[in-house]
Amino acid sequence: MLTKGQVVVHESLGDEKHKLKRLVLKGPIARTAQAGQFVAIQVQDSSISSFDPLLRRPISLADISSENDEITLLYRVQGRGTEILARAKEGGVLSIMGPLGHGFSLPEAGELWLVAGGIGIFPLYPLALSALSKGLTVRLFWGGENQSFLESAGLSSWEKLGIPLYLSTLDGSLGQKGLVTEQINDQLGQMSLSSSQIWAAACGPKKMMQAVAEICINVKVPIEVSLEERMGCAVGACLGCVCTLIDETGAKVHKKVCQDGPVFRGEEVVWDESC
Amino acid sequence: MNPVNLSTQFAGITLRNPLITCSGTYGFGEEYTSYCPLEALGGITLKGVTPLPRLGNPVPRLAETPAGLLNAVGLENPGLDEFIQSYLPKIRKLPTAAIANISGFSLEDYVQLARALQKDSGLAALEVNISCPNVKHGGMHFGTDPQSAQEVIAAVKAETDLPVIAKLSPNVTDIVGMARAVQLGGADAISLINTLLGMHIDIYQQRPVLANTFGGLSGPAIRPVAVRMVWQVFQAVDLPIIGMGGITTWQDAVEFMLAGATAISIGTGNFVNPQAPLEILQGIKEYCEERGLASVRDLVGLAHHVR
Repeated sequence: MLTKGQVVVHESLGDEKHKLKRLVLKGPIARTAQAGQFVAIQVQDSSISSFDPLLRRPISLADISSENDEITLLYRVQGRGTEILARAKEGGVLSIMGPLGHGFSLPEAGELWLVAGGIGIFPLYPLALSALSKGLTVRLFWGGENQSFLESAGLSSWEKLGIPLYLSTLDGSLGQKGLVTEQINDQLGQMSLSSSQIWAAACGPKKMMQAVAEICINVKVPIEVSLEERMGCAVGACLGCVCTLIDETGAKVHKKVCQDGPVFRGEEVVWDESC
Repeated sequence: MNPVNLSTQFAGITLRNPLITCSGTYGFGEEYTSYCPLEALGGITLKGVTPLPRLGNPVPRLAETPAGLLNAVGLENPGLDEFIQSYLPKIRKLPTAAIANISGFSLEDYVQLARALQKDSGLAALEVNISCPNVKHGGMHFGTDPQSAQEVIAAVKAETDLPVIAKLSPNVTDIVGMARAVQLGGADAISLINTLLGMHIDIYQQRPVLANTFGGLSGPAIRPVAVRMVWQVFQAVDLPIIGMGGITTWQDAVEFMLAGATAISIGTGNFVNPQAPLEILQGIKEYCEERGLASVRDLVGLAHHVR
């Protein structure tokens, strides 16, 4: 679906030094969107005809409100595209393709463990909401740079969910000092639950997702990971954003992050290949 | 006022309108249907096929540049057999003309591909990508040597009963020489232009952005080069031209037709605006209406006439 979304809210998220922005857009995308899906957004206001930057930017859905016809995008300003997007004014109109890709799947019962690194937290929030509304138990493992980052990136909304949070920071300013994987191992060690009752979903830096996937595969916890790659068309036509997976026969195959993903089963992903 | 006649015929190909999509930007025709109905397009050019399956290049395969896009996908495709078995049956049913695009690394590759793809396959034409390196001849590109280009086109032409379109590379000193060569080889039409070779370096990581180092530049950035080449080839060679290279708006499309393109093809423009073909077609139609032109064909080469 190609739509024009009106900017309802566009503001800094938390401490400005983290360059995080919250963009709420009005439009029909929310009606069919699922957690883990994304939109391809044109960074210039659609009233301006400009081809520089040329491509749309893929941004995951951080909140989906079908009753208000609103989607929320949370993003970090870290390049020319997002710098221009950051100037979009409330009341302005942006061209959006989406919802795109395949999101996370939800188990029928049991515990869902969410694992986030940095801004990888953003697409996990709507997943947590869906899981909780389905009556699942949810835990969050989240690692970030420091306390200020975690607070800026929405820690308070997670606290409001009343679920167990296992936080890690690189400097130890909040939660445990170190990596998110250490927290997961600690919890697995203390678990009375059998691992067959746990499902995991991860989003964050590739190295983190790889480490988390390895832990989960070892204890036979099914895990889904959300991959990232530079995208061209965002619909599977240009083959710009392929990743390597192992198929049922054990052969290496290419899948399109935009269309087949961005969410894949952790055990399928070949992490060490750039393609 | 009579409606503008949008249909066009050239090289034995009949299209309901002159709008095509470029190879490698439109998959095998299924990806964009929810944005742009295939019924609205004159035709689509399919993803390039090679004799054997190819996984293509490592990622990153894409790098954005000012008003442009570098790509180094590396001809990832399912290979000829899989193309025929799994894709052609679906392609036959598409409600638009389908042009296959073939690529090879030797003359024999092209011969094999052309032999397998005939009129009864349901395709409208064969577009021959001659930009690949000729592995047998030390990696020299078929697309930059007139003699090799002529030989490839002649070999393809001898094997297939489909109209043959030669897709020319702009990475040459003399595009007219290349166009004349493929005409001698028997090409029925010419696609102009393929991507321009380029690269982009990440100055913070101090290394090339593309895993392949070099890539093909497309998008509005290359449009003036493409228009110039269409203009030159139109003057020198009596073959229909499919113009492409950065077409994103209807004004771009009209410019190519005025320069001499009989049909026009949208590639990277689809990524920017998946409804670009619809908007471009509407714009061309209105442009003709405003000027009292009965047919889009009346636009072709109009800018060459001395006023």
